This record gives sequence, structure tokens and C-alpha cells, in this order.
Amino acid sequence: MECVVQGIIETQHVEALEILLQGLCGVQRERLRVHELCLKSGPSLGVVSSEVRLLCDLDQPEPTWTVKHVGGAMRGPGADQISVMVRTMVESKVSKNALRMFNALGYKLDHELLKVGFAFHFQRTANISVSVSSVNKMLKVHAIDEAVPVTPGMQIVDVTAPATPANYSEVSAAVSSLCEFLAPLVHLSKPFNSTGVVPTAAAAAASLMSDGGVTATFFFTFIRNNRIHPYTQQQIETELCQRTSIRGYLV
Amino acid sequence: MPVKWVLHWQPNQGSTVSSQILNEATQCVESINGVKEGRWKATLNYYKPLLRDQTNQAEFPRDFLGISLADQPNKYYFIIRSQRIVLEADSSIQLIMERLQSYKSKVALYFEGFQYQLGDFRLRVGKVVPTHSENVRGIVMEVEYLPISSMEKSRKVMEEFLEIWHEALSKRSLPGKFVNIDLNFGEFGLGDNYTPQHTAVRYALVMAHMIATVQAVRG
Repeated sequence: MECVVQGIIETQHVEALEILLQGLCGVQRERLRVHELCLKSGPSLGVVSSEVRLLCDLDQPEPTWTVKHVGGAMRGPGADQISVMVRTMVESKVSKNALRMFNALGYKLDHELLKVGFAFHFQRTANISVSVSSVNKMLKVHAIDEAVPVTPGMQIVDVTAPATPANYSEVSAAVSSLCEFLAPLVHLSKPFNSTGVVPTAAAAAASLMSDGGVTATFFFTFIRNNRIHPYTQQQIETELCQRTSIRGYLV
Repeated sequence: MPVKWVLHWQPNQGSTVSSQILNEATQCVESINGVKEGRWKATLNYYKPLLRDQTNQAEFPRDFLGISLADQPNKYYFIIRSQRIVLEADSSIQLIMERLQSYKSKVALYFEGFQYQLGDFRLRVGKVVPTHSENVRGIVMEVEYLPISSMEKSRKVMEEFLEIWHEALSKRSLPGKFVNIDLNFGEFGLGDNYTPQHTAVRYALVMAHMIATVQAVRG
């Protein structure tokens, strides 16, 4: 099971988002270069048609493979009240023969993507992963060196956190809380429920970039440590203008 | 990982496998000073495709099996022997296969018995039984040589050990023998350095031979 939200951001604001995430997470970013292959069962195979994803992490010295099955999202009044998607998900690390095996079992390539960007993995009540990546398509099968962006100038932001039936409420709350911090730059919502780019993103990005992000880092460390409600865009800009007073709070 | 050979009991023409032979084999290990360490267990599943149209059955592999090994509790191995495919995965892959609802385990077998230490060797002798039955369908023996992980370098010492083993067992006048099957691991993309994937492939081959033996007897 996992909690998921997604959003989109203009490529020109990605650097600002990285600074913001660096301040919030307190960990180093990791490079992301993942070849994702989506396989679907052939016409007569299975009780119902099924889909499985193979993920090849190309950023390792030796590519590593993961098989992932994403199931249905939680539905009903309880699900409607949660701002994140809660869905079943199982994954397994596998050796390099996975594509060949699934082909032999009757699964065919439906589509493939190359995601290039960066990710932050950290712990805040839950294990949260935030990735920011451009999504690229291949013009020829498996030709990752010739991949081109699906939406030039735009990148996708994915926030995921593993959950269980016992703790998905807590995990959802942790993800929602993170979303509020990122709201000035990117609106995160349930997948397939996008509201587009954030109109204040340019101003927020400009503020974050104005001093190389030093103030932002201190600022969000303060918010995180004191667990105060995240600021609106206007309050962010006001506080950034009062850097001296912010530093006075820090010990 | 240490090199391992997996032998299976091949009964003589006209005889069958039984628990008695397993008892004799374990007593034989103890008679050559094998020190009992405990029990071991592996599980093997034969998967069949779930098809909406049975006429397409030939398109799908008939020898798709999965195995969990005693010394790799968090892993699961898939083998399609006819296509020379072996895959190592986390145990969670079984849940993924369940969720896909495209293949189902139709036959499940346990390999279970006792494990022994004998100098630089580790031996596992066990019976092959269906999961809901005590009917012995076969006997297997794992011979692991702990100091070496290169198959080429270990070949001579393994062959010498087997000569000693065959000689010890022959004194019991049993109606059959333990057989090791040589195979070309390179066809499965596996190298000289031994891995659990080698063991998974060995078990797949052992099963194929055991099935062929049963079919020959019935024929």
C-alpha cells in the first residue's frame, strides 16, 4: 500500500523547488534516471487483463531492476476525505531477466518512459520520497539514448510514502503536511486530478533563488523544528524580507 | 556462495522411491560421521496460466515454476527451463503474481529433511512430497562444498566426495542410486561463480528428471 500525490512544475522553477526540498528534508538529493516499462497481459491471459511495471534504475554502476504492481485506489467517503491517494502497491527487486521472463509469460510492452531528475528520501513520521523528473518517451523501442520529453518545459513531481492498512491515516497526514510546505511552488493532488501549475510559483521561486537559498534553508528548518503552520505565499515573502528577525529565533 | 550439487534418487527399473530409502540415506550420512545440524525445507510451485480461451494454451510455457530455497528465506526464484530463463526476486514477487491473476500455482511440493555438517561439506538429504500429502515422490540430496565458490575449481573435490558417498551407500544394497545432472549454466546466463540461481536451475532440472522417470515407469 502507498500514499501518493502528484503535481506539475515548470522546468524553470525546478531549481527553486530543489532548494526548498533541501531545506525541508535535510538530506542530500539523489539522482534519478529510471527506465519504466509498462507491460500488459495478452488478450486471453488471466482472469482479467493485468498490468505490471518494470523499473530499471540506470543511475547505478550496474542497472538494477524492480517489478511493481499498482492496484486500485481506496474508494468511498473515507477516501474522499483524504487529500492523498491511498492505493495497493507491491514491489520486488528482481535480477536482470525480468523483461524476458514476463515476455515469455505472455506480457507485452504497452509503453515505456524514461524519467530523469532527482529525488529526496527522508523520514517525517513516514518514509517519504519526493521525486522531480522530466518524463521522456522513446521514439524507438528501448532507445533510451534518443528519448525526448513528453511535455517540454514541464516536469512532474511525485510524492510517495509506503503505508499499511493500520497506519495509512498517519502517513496520509504526513504527506499532506509536506504538500502544504510545497504549495507556493507546486500544487500536489491525487493522480489524474491535476490542477495545473501554481500561479504564484514564479514569485516563490524568485524569493527562494534570490540569495542562493540560504535564507530559505534556515527558514524552513525553523518551520520544521517548531512545527508551526506553513506560511502562505505572502507571508513567505514578508518573512524573507526580515531575515535578521528570523535568524534571531534560531539557536 | 559455496558450490552446491543437487542429486536426486534414481530408482532401478521396476522399483519405486520410499521413505525407507530416505532413512537409509540419512543413516549412511551419519555412518560417515555427518553431524546433524537440524531440519531444512524448500518449496516448489508449478504455475499454470489462467486462460480465457483454452485454445491458446500452446503459446504459454508449460514448465514455469517457482522455488523458495532453504538458505534464502527472503528470496524467490522463477525458472522457465525450456527457455533457459531464471529470475531471482524478493519473496514479495509471489504476492505480485497473485495480484496479477494470470498464473496460478497448480502443484506445490516440499523438499524437506535433515541437514548435516561433514568436514568442509554441508549435506541436506530430504524427501519430495506434495504439500498436502505424505506420499514420497522423490528423494534429493544437496552437497555443498563450503570453501569454494567456483564451479570449475570445485569439480574434482565434488567428484571425489561423490565416489566416497556412492561407495558408502552401496553397502546398503539399495534399489537405485543418487544421480547428479550436469548442465550448461551458461545457457541460463549464469557464470562460474556459484549463486542461488544456480541452485534454482538445478532443482528445475531435478524435477524434470523425476517427472520423466515417473512417466517412464507408468509407460
